[in-house]
Amino acid sequence: MTLAAIDWDFIVDNLPELLAGLRRTLVVATIGIAGAFLVGLVLGAARAHRIPVVSQLAAVYVEVIRNTPILVQIFFLFFGLPQLGIRLSPFVTAWLSVLIWGGAYNTENFRAGFEAVPRRFREAALALGFTPRRTFVNVTLPIGGRIALAPSINTYISVLKNTSLLTAIGYAELTNVSRSISAVTFKDAEMLLVVAVTYLAIVWTLSALIRLLEARLALPRTA
Amino acid sequence: MPDWVRPVAEYILKEGLKETLRMAGLAVAGSAVIGILLGTLLTIRFLPSRALIRLYVEVWRGLPIIVTIFLIFFALPSLDIRFSAFQAATIGLVLWGSAQVAEATRGAVESIPREQHEAAAALGFGWVGRHVNVILPQALRRLLPSMVGLLVNVIQNTTIAAIIGVAEVLETGNRSVERLTFTSFESHAFEIFAGVMAIFFIISFPLTRLAAYLERRLI
Repeated sequence: MTLAAIDWDFIVDNLPELLAGLRRTLVVATIGIAGAFLVGLVLGAARAHRIPVVSQLAAVYVEVIRNTPILVQIFFLFFGLPQLGIRLSPFVTAWLSVLIWGGAYNTENFRAGFEAVPRRFREAALALGFTPRRTFVNVTLPIGGRIALAPSINTYISVLKNTSLLTAIGYAELTNVSRSISAVTFKDAEMLLVVAVTYLAIVWTLSALIRLLEARLALPRTA
Repeated sequence: MPDWVRPVAEYILKEGLKETLRMAGLAVAGSAVIGILLGTLLTIRFLPSRALIRLYVEVWRGLPIIVTIFLIFFALPSLDIRFSAFQAATIGLVLWGSAQVAEATRGAVESIPREQHEAAAALGFGWVGRHVNVILPQALRRLLPSMVGLLVNVIQNTTIAAIIGVAEVLETGNRSVERLTFTSFESHAFEIFAGVMAIFFIISFPLTRLAAYLERRLI
């Protein structure tokens, strides 16, 4: 099949459905990313400051999620939990699974960022009479948060890419919509090309954004 | 132990785990060979080759692996290129993995001091001899932690093959759930998927520890 053999009209005809799928992909990714940011910030701070109990529980959460495949986590939430009487809709399973996954990776990103803040900065703030909480908000967070920025955006990109796995539980995001259209029309190549180009456009834009932010928010060399 | 556990565990461990490990082994080996070659070539300052390899890396790293596997399994047949589900999934993982390795290799090769190149050149090595005998052995040492990390990721990503029907660990778990639902009206999905998670955890956890240890040791 050459470029000329692609049925462009077919793609145009199915554009509304594909856009609806893309919208669901973006909604799920946005909820997942926002949640992963909050989880990573809170648990990353708890890990870096070794807050008893919370820190240990967060460590277990991080290790379990990072050492098991996200697809199995999705199946566990969607097919395993109903046995305990917990029934999640495909939509809730969708955003919850990518949120839990992204939160674990982000906890590590933020922990590493906060721990990379030189000790003397914290000590200086405490000596100036900042309370521990204000020290975190005014010193550790702005510096450590910037160190964690690039790796955390990489995690957000992975969260977006992982929403494509939700096709396995039949959630009608972009990949799933394209497969449903192919199932009745047999136009697999057209649909998958559209899907691939869409993902690349989003992922490449976000990667470019990282480079831009890194240049803009880079810590001064003489820190 | 209830009656249903034994046949399910045997099916998942004997059939499923074997497929998972076979696919992971092939995918990691393929990714390493192609990735190290492309990564080394990426350090040559020749624009056309660099642009091509860059494109390869950015495309296969940028696409969700499931979309890559779908392209191979569902779209290539329209070009009369047909692969089995196992082959399609393995190739998809190799494309993704080799892009990761290429990027890591480029970094590792470029981190070898200039003097090493110059000394090797002064001893009369050509480009190939210099890289094979002097630069790559040093670069591979620095690459080791990320190769172990890749192994963990590839093992976990083999589960994506379940979506196109490869009977690896997750898919054998799935089929067990379906069979139990039909025969006994109790799916036991909770225990089975928890078990599948446990299998992956038992394999991955020591490897991620090893990767972290190597990172501390070698750098």
